[in-house]
Amino acid sequence: MYYKFNGFTQKLVGAAASAAYTPQGLKPLVSTESPALIFGTPTKLASDSPAAVSYLSKNKVPDLQKLFQKADGVPVHLKRGIPDQLLYRTTMALTIGGTIYCLIALYKASQPKSRK
Amino acid sequence: MTHQTHPYHMVNPSPWPLTGAMAALLTTSGLAMWFHYNSTQLLIMGLITMLLTMIQWWRDIVRESTFQGHHTTPVQKGLRYGMILFITSEVFFFIGFFWAFYHSSLAPTPELGGHWPPTGISPLDPFEVPLLNTAVLLASGVTITWTHHSLMNANRNETIQALSITIILGLYFTALQAMEYYEAPFTISDGIYGSTFFVATGFHGLHVIIGSSFLLICLFRQVFFHFTPTHHFGFEAAAWYWHFVDVVWLFLYISIYWWGS
Repeated sequence: MYYKFNGFTQKLVGAAASAAYTPQGLKPLVSTESPALIFGTPTKLASDSPAAVSYLSKNKVPDLQKLFQKADGVPVHLKRGIPDQLLYRTTMALTIGGTIYCLIALYKASQPKSRK
Repeated sequence: MTHQTHPYHMVNPSPWPLTGAMAALLTTSGLAMWFHYNSTQLLIMGLITMLLTMIQWWRDIVRESTFQGHHTTPVQKGLRYGMILFITSEVFFFIGFFWAFYHSSLAPTPELGGHWPPTGISPLDPFEVPLLNTAVLLASGVTITWTHHSLMNANRNETIQALSITIILGLYFTALQAMEYYEAPFTISDGIYGSTFFVATGFHGLHVIIGSSFLLICLFRQVFFHFTPTHHFGFEAAAWYWHFVDVVWLFLYISIYWWGS
């Protein structure tokens, strides 16, 4: 019999082995929940029979997990490199430029009589 | 290499709260510039920066959860509380508009003719398109439950099919409602009837669009293998939001379309 702590009732309750092997609150850094490894074509997926949709997408999640877990100190919003940087710089430029334009527009709008 | 010895999520420094706040400034001032000076530049800049912020902020959350594994059980619990509280705040938002409707319709003033619907207003027949809309949203509630069960049973194809049907039903509702808006014999400026009708149903329609977009993101994530049978909170949050949208419609239908006609 395995047990886990029920945070709601604050008591120990019976649990399945899975709860004991992956205790609450402590999950491995690399998610072990990814689907079975794909050795070649998508037909090897364990969970479903071949169909049009599963041929269209290969499971890239494990590769992306490796990419985003690289210990390079780069924050998550820039972790993919150049495309992230471009998007970030565009957003920041528009935001700061827009704020300056906004302050000028509000200043002009607050002038009595000289403008409509 | 250091590892955290606690199950909580210490987020990387992020620029999106700042850009989001500035986008709010641009959007609100942009509205003022549009209303008073007929200029849409600032408003458009505001909406674009708002869109860019939302895309990148939520993209980062997907990265932190699916790719970096930060969404442990306590973290997920916090997210659940957060979504419930957000939806509760939206419920109160709609309560305001229902209050306005009932305030005016329970005691119609002499200026309206002393009855509801007011003089001169020909309301929409509740048993035509509005009833179809009700059926469409109720059906979408069934299909989203089907989606969830398929997801929990690791049935990939059925999950994708059921979620696609849910989204199509949502879009169908939006299209039908848009057509109703176009064909309606009254407008938002037709007194208190028009105001309460279009503001309440209009905000509801906006929430249907938001909910459909959320579901569409979930569909992409499902196709790209982000969800697992035991861990798919993004989808659950979308489903909760969608059920909320459905319930608001039911109240709208009963109060404004049926009782109010």
